[in-house]
Amino acid sequence: MTTFLVRRLISLIFVLFSLTFVTFMVGHFAPGDPILVMMGPHRDPDTYQRLRHAYGLDKPLLVQYAAYVGGLAQGNFGLSLRYQGRAVWDLIKGGVPVSMGVGGLALIISLLIGIPLGVVAAVKHNSAADRTIIGLTLLLYSIPSFVLIPIAWLVVRALYDAKLPAPPIAGWGTWQNWILPVTILAAGSTGYLTRLTRSTMIETLRQEYVRTARAKGLRNGMVTWKHAFRNALLPVITVVGPSVAFLITGAFVVENLLKVPGIGFLTVQAIGQRDYPVIQGTTVLLGVAVVLMNLVTDLAYTVLDPRIRLE
Amino acid sequence: MATQPQITQTPEMITQNALVATVRRNTEVTIWQRVRRNRTATISLAAALFVVLAALLGPLLYRVNPAATDFAALNSAPSARHLLGSDNLGRDTLARLLQGLRVSLLVALVAETINIVLGATIGVLAGYFGGWIDNILSRLADMLFAFPGLLLAILVAAIWGPAITDRYGGVGRLLLVATAISLVTWPLMARYVRSQTLSLREQEYVNAARALGSGDWRLITHHMLPNLFGLVITAATLDVVGVIVGESVLSLLGLGTQPPMASIGRMISDAVPFFARSSFQVFVPCATLTALVLIFSFLGDSLLDILDPRGR
Repeated sequence: MTTFLVRRLISLIFVLFSLTFVTFMVGHFAPGDPILVMMGPHRDPDTYQRLRHAYGLDKPLLVQYAAYVGGLAQGNFGLSLRYQGRAVWDLIKGGVPVSMGVGGLALIISLLIGIPLGVVAAVKHNSAADRTIIGLTLLLYSIPSFVLIPIAWLVVRALYDAKLPAPPIAGWGTWQNWILPVTILAAGSTGYLTRLTRSTMIETLRQEYVRTARAKGLRNGMVTWKHAFRNALLPVITVVGPSVAFLITGAFVVENLLKVPGIGFLTVQAIGQRDYPVIQGTTVLLGVAVVLMNLVTDLAYTVLDPRIRLE
Repeated sequence: MATQPQITQTPEMITQNALVATVRRNTEVTIWQRVRRNRTATISLAAALFVVLAALLGPLLYRVNPAATDFAALNSAPSARHLLGSDNLGRDTLARLLQGLRVSLLVALVAETINIVLGATIGVLAGYFGGWIDNILSRLADMLFAFPGLLLAILVAAIWGPAITDRYGGVGRLLLVATAISLVTWPLMARYVRSQTLSLREQEYVNAARALGSGDWRLITHHMLPNLFGLVITAATLDVVGVIVGESVLSLLGLGTQPPMASIGRMISDAVPFFARSSFQVFVPCATLTALVLIFSFLGDSLLDILDPRGR
């Protein structure tokens, strides 16, 4: 257990190092001089040198990187190029709770729907219910989120025309604004989790110990939930970390099309303004979120599976 | 979801399946015969060929300038003048769609070429020689895997995109997008290839060839690579889905193709503000993209089945 934790911690440090290093390098070797861009038509050599110094761009590369990482460790994501003197963190911190709320809710909903649905499909393997679930989830899983958005809009319009309560199609502010982004984000991962749960559950139900449990005369529900489900859940838990990564990619699209002021929305705004430090900041922030989620997944896995704990 | 997680099969599973297939290759029917016997494979392969032909020949047969504006027909429905209608600037949707297909397939082609050349070469070397090459590969792969989904591609395209477009134009931008996407996919290919090379290396016939005096180079080119072919093609086909969706996401966010060049993602983002007036303009690119995703997913899955006789 201790060796596992130590090894996990070392890999965590390595991953954080690579994340910040690659992000830093992509920004550092970007074509064009950021200070010249910032100064616009004013070409005063004195101001130029002063700004270069203020942003630390006159120091050696590794010193700059060390300063960058040191700043990150203290929650300092650097200064914006677009809004002079404003910290990157000031610009993106508003998006953090929005993205975490929408993404977290979507993840919880997809777990709550996907796992039971997968179990049902596996228990009723090859039945009409199974085939319906399979077909439906294949669609949800393979249709990209930005194709689901117009479909959802059509549904909203139909609801509206029928004088039924309809959620707003875009925007932010009221709780109704959460309905569309959360539903669309949850759709893809629900499809994926259902299919994964189904296949591991089918595999588990074929195991000898499940047959033994049945032979002992245990009730069906007991066998399904106590013997099979607990074991089938393990592989499902391992993909929770990676699915956060896919929720993030989805969030970029959903937040921008539905005008949700989260991290993805703010990043694309910064892209439009060529505000590189902000783009780097959100990249690091989202990367760290995924890394931490993977860590939590791994730890949960260790707690749930005694074979890993005893190793 | 924007990009599909491709974890339904672990590298070991794919490798094993492909291995079983390669070992049996000579005793059973050829791959082509198996493709023809598998209905999903036949249909999806035909559909994929149709898409490629449409992208190559379409603009030659349907000679309408995709950038030409027709202010007499803004956001129009399908008509004899504009077969699939027109967008908010009166540009012909069918012409733009055909150009968008070209963009999607070109990006997929470049990204997969990088993916295969880089991934397969490094994977074979790491699996065959082990040691420091293997160590460097694993570290490099871990480094790039640290970036979730499209994040690295978004970062690279956002920071390098404008300057590349200024210097090399629209095609340069496309190459940048393809490279940015394949940056995060080739380590996966390298891992697949590496683990299959590891098991191939221990095969009897490889030992026999070595005993007969074959050198490393001959062993790799004559005994490893032919047996890796199926695995590489399958992994690349499944990866195409992620690349096509990735390019659309980047274009949708304004990071991919720049106006006037059309792309499926850009067609969607251009049409979305006018959804209330002409939802048809949103659905044409959306349906095309969904079709592309389904075609390549089914093709990849059926190739996987064909390479794994136990699966049926």
